[in-house]
Amino acid sequence: MNEFTLIRDIERYLEGEMTVQEKTAFEALRQSDPAINAQVEAHIRFMQELEGYGRRVALKEKMDHIHSTLDMDVLRNITPPGPARVVSISRRMLTNMAAAACIALVTSLSTIALMQRANRQKTTAQYEDVRRTLNNIQRSQNALINDINSKKRAPANPGTYGGTGFAISNNGYVVTNYHVVAGADSIYIQNTKGEAFKATSVFEDISSDLAILKITDSTFKGQALPYSLKPQKALRGEDVFTLGYPRDEIVYGEGYISAQTGFNGDSAAYQVSIPVNPGNSGAPLMDNKGDVIGIVTGKQSTSDGIAFAVKSAHLKRLLEEMPKDKLPKTQWNHKNRLEGLSRVEQVKKLEEFVYMVKVYN
Amino acid sequence: MKHNQNIERDRELLLGLARNDDKALATIYTENFPSVLRMVLQYKGSEDDAKDLFQEAMIILYEKVQQDEFDLYSKLKTFLYAICRHLWLKKQQNGSWQLALPDELAEILPGEDLNITQEHQQKDLQFTIMEQAMGNMGEPCKTILEDYYVRKMSMQEIAEKFGYTNSENAKNQKYKCLMRLKKLFFDQYKS
Repeated sequence: MNEFTLIRDIERYLEGEMTVQEKTAFEALRQSDPAINAQVEAHIRFMQELEGYGRRVALKEKMDHIHSTLDMDVLRNITPPGPARVVSISRRMLTNMAAAACIALVTSLSTIALMQRANRQKTTAQYEDVRRTLNNIQRSQNALINDINSKKRAPANPGTYGGTGFAISNNGYVVTNYHVVAGADSIYIQNTKGEAFKATSVFEDISSDLAILKITDSTFKGQALPYSLKPQKALRGEDVFTLGYPRDEIVYGEGYISAQTGFNGDSAAYQVSIPVNPGNSGAPLMDNKGDVIGIVTGKQSTSDGIAFAVKSAHLKRLLEEMPKDKLPKTQWNHKNRLEGLSRVEQVKKLEEFVYMVKVYN
Repeated sequence: MKHNQNIERDRELLLGLARNDDKALATIYTENFPSVLRMVLQYKGSEDDAKDLFQEAMIILYEKVQQDEFDLYSKLKTFLYAICRHLWLKKQQNGSWQLALPDELAEILPGEDLNITQEHQQKDLQFTIMEQAMGNMGEPCKTILEDYYVRKMSMQEIAEKFGYTNSENAKNQKYKCLMRLKKLFFDQYKS
């Protein structure tokens, strides 16, 4: 039995076109052959689908016909589009979402901004630290240069900067800090009696911040130095004192060696706990016996009582390095005449050899 | 009681619809379409959307009353409106996230109606398959089958229309067409 005759028989069977004989024969076939039976059942389902389809298409055609008879213009007029509720709902949602998004945006942006600022502050804090420490030298050193203008000096003698210096020979050689005389047009040395002498810088060493001045005035009369230079290292805790010109008057200060290194671990200097003020730059740092052990150079501006002094060994080295023709007649091998004296006596003798350095530029 | 009268009238219309009474169909259509149109327009749909939607609801209703088990709990108008609304929102849901089904509307729809539409979806699928199968049929098969099953023409009429010498020849042709359609349908259905 081929497909065509099968479908024909099924159709005839279902439509009731078969004779009684045919029907019984077909039913017997259905019973005996499950494949045929399945075909019949599938066909019944299929016919249902087809009829359903037919009904639906017919209905659709009818409805389309009815629809075409409707007067859409009238309908349109009686149906003014009311407020679009779904859209308004979505708008409300959009507003909410927009608000939420805005809040989220603002929050995240401000968080980012805060984080960045915090970050920056952190780095600037570090930076400042570094800068501060860098500045420190400069500021403290600059600070130690006494601004003479601000001291309302006599207009006839207006120095721009001031520092301290002390004699290292009996023929007019004076040592001071390089930063005191750096960029100077002219330098004057003034002693405690108020006598001023013109001086020139003959040797400078930036690395140790020292400068050797020579008094060029012929009126200057040298005296034998009462103190000597002690190139050995001073020990921590050793008492020291200094004389300097933080103001027009010579000022005495005392303290002790606090560390063997200077600012930022500078091995060329000591850390000294001593009151130091602008103008003290270049002042001699003496030990109890009255030996020069260093030259005050600066202080740490952030904390009190921390000053720095270049070790005397560097002054000695500097003097050795100086060209022979400029070399001062050093008399360091003479006997220290300050040893054993009371501090008052020491200071009294010493102050004649400590000068105010006035710098004009 | 006016309410009961309305229900009574709706019943009559539905019986007419089940009997394939064109007048009943036309009455139901013209009376109920405007409110659905209004709804769809409110939801920013087009007139064609409204037409498709309403006809789909009508098909659901029609198939329901054909099954003889349909009992109308509410007014016909409410029923059609609810189904349309449900179908519409469902379509929107599938289409875009913006038009999520508002809770207030979801509540309006009784559970039974949801079942109706689910049942309808299954039927819809079969219908689409049949439609495709039919579309893939060539002539004259397509017309013969449509004339017989859709327009309910007799084999005699079909034989005359297509110039077959007798209805037996037309029938043989119909069987051949049916065989092919069946094949197309079940091929689709299984895949």
